[in-house]
Amino acid sequence: MSVSNLLENWSKFRHTHPVDDKGHPDWEAYPSDIKWAMSIDLDACTGCNACSVACYAENNLPVVGKEKYSHGQAMHWMRIERYWDETAGVGEFSADQGARFLPMMCQQCEAAPCETVCPVGATNHTEDGLNSQIYNRCIGSRYCSANCPYKVRYFNWYNYPEQENAWPSPLNQQLNPDLTVRTKGVMEKCTFCKQRTYTARNNAKTEGRPVQDSDVQTACQEACPVGAITFGNLFNPESQVAKQWQSQQVELTKEVQDKDEKEGNRLRGYRILEELRPYPSVMYLERVRESAV
Amino acid sequence: YVTLPSYVIPSISNYFNSTCAQCEAGCNIMGRVREGRVLKAEGNPNSPINRGRMCGLGLSGVQAHYNPDRVRQPLLKGEAIAWDKALGVIADKLNGVKGAEVAFLTGNMSGHVQALLGNYMDELGSKNHFSYEAISPAVLRAANKKAYGVSMPRYRIDKARVVVSFGADFLGAWVSPVHFSQQYAQFRKGNRPEGRGVLVQIEPKMTLTGANADRWIAVRPGSEGVLALGIINALGKAGLAIPADIAAASKAYTTERVSSETDVSAEQIEKLAALLKERTPSLVLAGSAAEGYAHGSQNAAAIALLNRVLGNVGKTVEASASVPFPQIAPTVGNRASLVSLNDGLAAGKYKVVFSYGVNPVFSAPAALKFKDNYAKADFKVAFAQYLDETAQAADLVLPLDSAMEDWATVVPEYMVTPEGAGSAAYAQMSFRQPLMDKLYPDTRGIGDILLALLKQRKADKYKEFDDFYAYLRSAVLKNKVALGGKATDDDDAFWDETLSKGFLPMKGIAGTVSAKASASDLKLPSAAADRDYPLRLIPSISASMRDGRNANEPWLQESPDPLTTIVWDSWVEINPKTAAKLGIVEGDIVEVTSRSGTIRTQAYLFPGIHPDAVSVPVGYGHEAMGRYAKGVGANVFAMLDAVFDKETGELALNETGVKISKTGQRVLIVKEEGPVGGSQAGKKKIAVQVAADKVDLSKEV
Repeated sequence: MSVSNLLENWSKFRHTHPVDDKGHPDWEAYPSDIKWAMSIDLDACTGCNACSVACYAENNLPVVGKEKYSHGQAMHWMRIERYWDETAGVGEFSADQGARFLPMMCQQCEAAPCETVCPVGATNHTEDGLNSQIYNRCIGSRYCSANCPYKVRYFNWYNYPEQENAWPSPLNQQLNPDLTVRTKGVMEKCTFCKQRTYTARNNAKTEGRPVQDSDVQTACQEACPVGAITFGNLFNPESQVAKQWQSQQVELTKEVQDKDEKEGNRLRGYRILEELRPYPSVMYLERVRESAV
Repeated sequence: YVTLPSYVIPSISNYFNSTCAQCEAGCNIMGRVREGRVLKAEGNPNSPINRGRMCGLGLSGVQAHYNPDRVRQPLLKGEAIAWDKALGVIADKLNGVKGAEVAFLTGNMSGHVQALLGNYMDELGSKNHFSYEAISPAVLRAANKKAYGVSMPRYRIDKARVVVSFGADFLGAWVSPVHFSQQYAQFRKGNRPEGRGVLVQIEPKMTLTGANADRWIAVRPGSEGVLALGIINALGKAGLAIPADIAAASKAYTTERVSSETDVSAEQIEKLAALLKERTPSLVLAGSAAEGYAHGSQNAAAIALLNRVLGNVGKTVEASASVPFPQIAPTVGNRASLVSLNDGLAAGKYKVVFSYGVNPVFSAPAALKFKDNYAKADFKVAFAQYLDETAQAADLVLPLDSAMEDWATVVPEYMVTPEGAGSAAYAQMSFRQPLMDKLYPDTRGIGDILLALLKQRKADKYKEFDDFYAYLRSAVLKNKVALGGKATDDDDAFWDETLSKGFLPMKGIAGTVSAKASASDLKLPSAAADRDYPLRLIPSISASMRDGRNANEPWLQESPDPLTTIVWDSWVEINPKTAAKLGIVEGDIVEVTSRSGTIRTQAYLFPGIHPDAVSVPVGYGHEAMGRYAKGVGANVFAMLDAVFDKETGELALNETGVKISKTGQRVLIVKEEGPVGGSQAGKKKIAVQVAADKVDLSKEV
């Protein structure tokens, strides 16, 4: 596709706001019958980092080494954030109730702030509801990273195959041939394991049936020792992820959930920074702590 | 390929079952293989151990296989030589040496490699097989044996309503973490008759498990046993019937006294006792943090009493089964074994020393002077995948296949409880098979090397076996019936089916547990203040770095420590209050000095540590091994005092007193968290606080 074609058909490649899309709220006009989404149970999550390492193994993420890490150049598409209780006062951390772990990766926003600022349309929305990154269109302006409220976009400052730390032979033989090794100057991020969802969709299509939960797992979900991560098609009412979203009364196209306005509501589901209206596709379930001890 | 195998379709992955070699838990894995290369380890969903799941350490196994720093040829005093020459040198050196003068040092072992090693030691006429693990639950095994009659019972976190863990990091690095994580998920989600479980973690330095607790209690280092008796006393006061001998032993441990000795508030002890009394069954665990003392066995014994008092034995502490074949049953390593080898070496008892899968030159405390004593042996052979510290000190280094190129059988020490009938007698033998061709032509499997050494001495007896594979296959097929097959099964079909499953369930010997924990000779010392070295050093064991044998796998170095988020270095954790007294801020390079040594490292202010303690992670500070491990961090093993548990002889990891001084240098710590640390941008609480009878997660989808 040429750039002029891209510019002429701008709206086809950009979702500015899901609420403005045709067919809302029933998603009738959504370009496909798949909307990938995730939910993460923070009460089960132990912060063990298995998801993050699984992501390195699956998605050809380079190891950058200490110096580049100190410059904030780590390439971990999935990272674990760790928080302390601060009720005693600002900066006074208490460990009495343990810590809080939060796996953070691209939230695959429906109205992604990163998409609207890309000068070349390298990041845009796919028909199955992913915020995609087209590596060979990316010119490395890094506007998307600057505009991402979750800070989950990672820029290739170096040509990693040539860096001593990343894949000295024969470590390069581990690389997953289902996806590329990115080159210097492009932006990258979590894809919800695009290579896996793509295969699952094609297999289901070949067999003439819709995609089911059993067809695909993301690498992080597959590894998670406590099964805290659920992934699937939000438009399929039979999928686990759709059931979870529904039972937690979290809706994709709302920035303020109805349940939050009712008092004394014990539901745990929420999305991070919902109030910024990016309509993220990842729901988190709040951590719970017993008060009797 | 010259001819493409029929099962290989370019671009489609094949999965082969195998067994993880990254830690002792022995999780069943599937190797994802494409076009002849193994790409990734994934969990085997049929495994009762890990049920298809993986940890970061296990996932990094491919980096041990493809590691650029592997030894590729036999090395005699650093010079490459051919295999037949290397084996010839061993034969020469063994010539005229008595069996008693040969020692073989290994880590934990099990399966058919162990059976071959046993045969080899018999041929040599040597009884000196030393089994050593730098970090091992040896005290726990001995205490369990006394308290329950079995050294490693099955723990049922999934059945408990309350788990009180005295420093057992079962989600991180303790015994079988991926399996316990599965149990923990059931314990937390509450879709079980017992409802959502409550976890209380008691330890001086927060572990990953502590970070996931409903209540984390910072206990004064070493006073865990006192606290356990204090809880028993409080349970008695709350009206629970306590057996007379235990009541007598705990009578003196009044809440006030215990509170002042352990630094845990009286209110907290009473709350905990009330919770334990109200919600049964519970489960009380003792882990390395409680056991690393000269009185470690006493601490563990006092903690085991709680399970008896609370009636948990038989409910959440279950009998485990053992395998019916003693020669393949797991041999578990400990530190006491290393000490006895070290004494022998110092006395010049051993002329030829073999070592396999262990790195004592790195992990022995400096006070043992292991490196000097090791040098006293005439001829030292190291079977090694890396040129680590021990291999460098050896005369002959024999390069090993990686675990993804080699055959083995593994019998895990911790036998899991699968669902369903016959689970009490369930035992398991897992198979490790090559997931791809060898990367280097001159590496060999440990089984093949042992077989070659055996042929040197008894060529006739082993001539029918061309290689270890032939030996293994024949040994398994000979016992087909005992391993769950039928006598009428076709050998090839049985073997193929076994390999495709990846493990064999076996009818094991069901054990029994007994609630015989006794309080009769319990002696718990009061902590004595050490004026010269006022702080207690807690060497911390992280899930990814463990004892440092995997330090050359870059994913593990770049995977942030879950609690401090630090990468690519070691650090010393200091409580902010202690740091303020010493005038230390984050990033100060400090000297941590004990009676046995000093390390320099960066200071990290950490709320999850008792003010009397500081903590440094183990596994860092390699001087050799490879590009990712060498020179990263400081080796805390080297500065540990040689203090041992009085009953088991195990190294008391937490008995080293230290002092801290500033060097005047400062660095910016390389870590994942930002300058605001653990602050949540305006949100103060980290969790919703609810009473357990109000929360019902079981209805959640």
